[in-house]
Amino acid sequence: MRRGAVAILFVLLGAAAPLAAHPMSDIEALIDAAEPGGVVLIPPGVYEGNLVIDKPVVLDGQEGAIFDGMESGTVVEVLAEGVTIRGCTIRGSGENVTAEPAGIRVLAGHAVIESNTIKDSLFGIDLRQASDSVIRGNRIACKNFEPARRGDGLRLWWSHNCTVEDNTVLSSRDMVFWYSENLHITRNTVKDSRYGLHFMYSHDTVLEGNELTGNSVGIYLMYSNRITLINNRMLSHRGASGYGIGLKDCDDIVVRGNALLANRVGMYIDNSPSSIGATGTVEQNMIAFNEVGLLATPNTHENVFTRNAFMENEEPAESNGRGRLTRNSFSRDGFGNYWSDYTGFDLDGDGIGDVAYEPRSLFHEMLAVEPNLRLFVHSPAQQAIEFTARALPELQPKSVLVDPAPLARPPEIKLASPPADGAAPVMASLAAGLLLASGGLTVVFGRSPGIPVAPGGRE
Amino acid sequence: MIKAEHITKRFGPVEAVSDISFELGNGCSLALWGSNGAGKTTLIRCLLGVIRFRGRASIGGIDVQRRGRQARALTGYVPQELAFHDDTRLGSAMGFFAGLRRVPGRRAAESLAAVGLSGHERKRVRDLSGGMKQRLALAIALLSDPPLIVLDEPTSNLDAAGRGEVIETLRHLKASGKTLVFASHRPDEVISLADRVLVLEHGRVERDTTPRGLWPTEKPVQVIRLFLSMAKESEAAGVLREAGHAVHLNGNGLCVAVPRDRKAEPINTLAKHRIEVLNIEVLDDMEIPGVES
Amino acid sequence: MSTMAAPAGNNAASSPLRAATTVGGIAMFARREFRDAIASRWFLLYTLAFTVLAVGVSFLSLSGVGSSGFAGFGRTAAGLLNLIMLIVPLMALTAGAGSIAGERERGTLLYLLAQPVSRTQVLLGKYAGLALALVCSLCIGFGVSAGLLAWRAGGVGVGAYILLIGFTAMLALGMLSVGFVISVVSRRTSVSTGVALFVWLALVFVSDLGLMASSIIFKLRVQEIFGVAILNPLQSFKMGVIVNMNASLDVLGPVGDYASHTFGAVLPWLLASTMVAWIVIPLAAAMVLFVRRQSV
Repeated sequence: MRRGAVAILFVLLGAAAPLAAHPMSDIEALIDAAEPGGVVLIPPGVYEGNLVIDKPVVLDGQEGAIFDGMESGTVVEVLAEGVTIRGCTIRGSGENVTAEPAGIRVLAGHAVIESNTIKDSLFGIDLRQASDSVIRGNRIACKNFEPARRGDGLRLWWSHNCTVEDNTVLSSRDMVFWYSENLHITRNTVKDSRYGLHFMYSHDTVLEGNELTGNSVGIYLMYSNRITLINNRMLSHRGASGYGIGLKDCDDIVVRGNALLANRVGMYIDNSPSSIGATGTVEQNMIAFNEVGLLATPNTHENVFTRNAFMENEEPAESNGRGRLTRNSFSRDGFGNYWSDYTGFDLDGDGIGDVAYEPRSLFHEMLAVEPNLRLFVHSPAQQAIEFTARALPELQPKSVLVDPAPLARPPEIKLASPPADGAAPVMASLAAGLLLASGGLTVVFGRSPGIPVAPGGRE
Repeated sequence: MIKAEHITKRFGPVEAVSDISFELGNGCSLALWGSNGAGKTTLIRCLLGVIRFRGRASIGGIDVQRRGRQARALTGYVPQELAFHDDTRLGSAMGFFAGLRRVPGRRAAESLAAVGLSGHERKRVRDLSGGMKQRLALAIALLSDPPLIVLDEPTSNLDAAGRGEVIETLRHLKASGKTLVFASHRPDEVISLADRVLVLEHGRVERDTTPRGLWPTEKPVQVIRLFLSMAKESEAAGVLREAGHAVHLNGNGLCVAVPRDRKAEPINTLAKHRIEVLNIEVLDDMEIPGVES
Repeated sequence: MSTMAAPAGNNAASSPLRAATTVGGIAMFARREFRDAIASRWFLLYTLAFTVLAVGVSFLSLSGVGSSGFAGFGRTAAGLLNLIMLIVPLMALTAGAGSIAGERERGTLLYLLAQPVSRTQVLLGKYAGLALALVCSLCIGFGVSAGLLAWRAGGVGVGAYILLIGFTAMLALGMLSVGFVISVVSRRTSVSTGVALFVWLALVFVSDLGLMASSIIFKLRVQEIFGVAILNPLQSFKMGVIVNMNASLDVLGPVGDYASHTFGAVLPWLLASTMVAWIVIPLAAAMVLFVRRQSV
């Protein structure tokens, strides 16, 4: 729907200011004329064809400078080191998946790709062996294909020491990083895509302040070590996997101060850390409103969870299969986590609950054995089973985890304010409408069918 | 006006009404006489088409089972005791039934006035006396001025004064040309209202007669009601009939018609047969219409 | 009183011997039923209970987090689902169960049927009136809850919320239909209410627990579990709400996965039509049973 509106907007803009079409050779001529390292100003207009840049120049697109690949191949290909492309609109790559056509493909280091708009391309920006590059402030929307046929919005492959910041990726496959180390991934936004930020064999990186919404998975780290996730926000990832953060075989991951909200699973851990001596740290995160706050495979161990707030998750923590999560620590230095379903007490008022937090759910125990029963979550029958388990202690399963020092009050975790969605008035008017409807019904239908009082009738 | 052909109604193994047929012309009035369980109420429900039965019944030529709605539009029904939601106000009850019969609210007000209930519109049904309830039922029955009024023991729950009022009203209705069908176990009602009496026993028509046929005397008669222990009732009826009295068992004692000057005779007769009379009630002094003294 | 004359003939013009039209009669009964319902104790009690619980659930699930705007309706829905599945069927089943049986027990049914109306009109009219009353009651609960959501959480999920209301209304109407079937065949309200409670228990707990047990014992396949589960209107309701919120049933595990992948975009419609079937079929059955009934 929104995509449709955007498309219509583009059509309208195009109609309002019809831009002259030029062959791409115009640009090639400009580049040829420029000194190495010089600035090439791209005047407004649509440049049709494919562009290959093989010398270090700065392409500076003026307002309305559009490169159109005419649905064939990669639109702009950078072969030389130290090329800058900024302010351009790039569209119309080919569709052939095997060739992986992109809006911009960079095959040399020290590139700066800045403030471009890339749309209707199979892949957005694709860096291969382009270390020391900066990708900043680009808007990327891939071809409007069904999810399985989309390409990556942004891909780094063997590109180290890069900075990726303030980019927006909509409706693509992934923002993905392969074999790339020492990156700075900051303040990017990925929406309605497959994996918001996806790491494969990429180590030693900091991801900070990124905003991931409505993807299949927010941040998915696989076989990547020593990665720090700080102050990212993962919201509404609700598909089959639907993880805010997913970790698979990653060592020494630090997850701090993130908000994992309204996902199917807040944080999913599969066999991380996997190496002997490695650890994982999850601290001061807000993990709230998820179907499952923390889901981990039973072989997961050596993670430390401290000072997180597990708020109003349908199930705070669950083991993905038979087994418990007790080989992880849920407190450090006497500080556990806040669990909103903690029923213990804090008589001495030190802010730490006096009894350990040990969630037990017979129903979830049954789920581990018989996954088909998940059909019955959110039903009174589930409540009945939990109630029975509480009434008959011999049925009580072992707790999935033990937090020996649960926090009595939620830790203060600073979160950016929620996105203003402008729908609050809609909800408010819905409330008013419903109440008015019931009032109206009562007035209209609740009236007695009176009869006129006969003249001379007695009181 | 109303025609019944072989009406038969079973409740499980019990045949409550067996093969009853009759026909009643416009402006006639018919009493259904019989003891409790004789089938009076069941027959009335069949005639109204509110329960299913075998056989055929029609009102004004309209089959009550196939086109019950239209047949009942020709009929006003007065139950033994008006059963309506107790919380309903009288005015809104009238409004509801006026709507069902598609008569204007003005007509409902007139109908209420006609039974003397004007000014009680705000009263709730539960606050009405028995007599007022029956008057309300009458007012509802008369809303659309139907040609046929069907009444199921309309006075049985009323005191003497209330009974008199209702009977008086019904006499007026009869005089204005309405057809009446009513169940009764009060001889005074039957004598003063009915042109014809169907005597029902065990669901069958025992006799199709007139009030005079039931109480065949040329002298002014009085009906007395004798209360006996239940077990003795049928024996006593036999004894009295042998002695030449007109006797009717109606489940509420024995009704015996006696000449006015020989009221004690049935008691004496029973005493001879060692049947004890527990109580006796002399019903209202009533002349059988058309019988000269 | 003594001058109770036969009605004057001045209303001859209004053709007094007409019965109400079919729709007109239904409307008369519907209005009367609606009026009686909203004035009754059960209605007030249920409305109050539903509203308080709905608001309570909404409030609790949004409280304590400064960022409640993120959760929007999603988290509240989970809590509301349980509540709705418990209360709404109870409300509708008992209301339906009391309807015809209550009139029968008080003796008012006979009097109504002796009027120029058909049994169908009485039944449909009462159904419409009670349905309207139930919807009215739900509107109040959902309305207050929506106000709270707007205040605490903004408008996230307003579309899902509307669909939740729609599905809940369908659930209520379906259970009302079932209540009518019970009512039509019951002589006494105590019996019909008892049966209604039994049916409620069966639908809410017994069938789910039974299906869980049999899926474990007989190792039922996912399509078998789904096929049986969808027959339960409460499960259809739950799946319908979840599929509308999440665009798939993956959260319901392998069975939900199977349903999503087998039926795809048809699934919401499939679930909605199951709900509609639960409204129409029992109501039709109630109608046939009522019209064919040998006694009052």
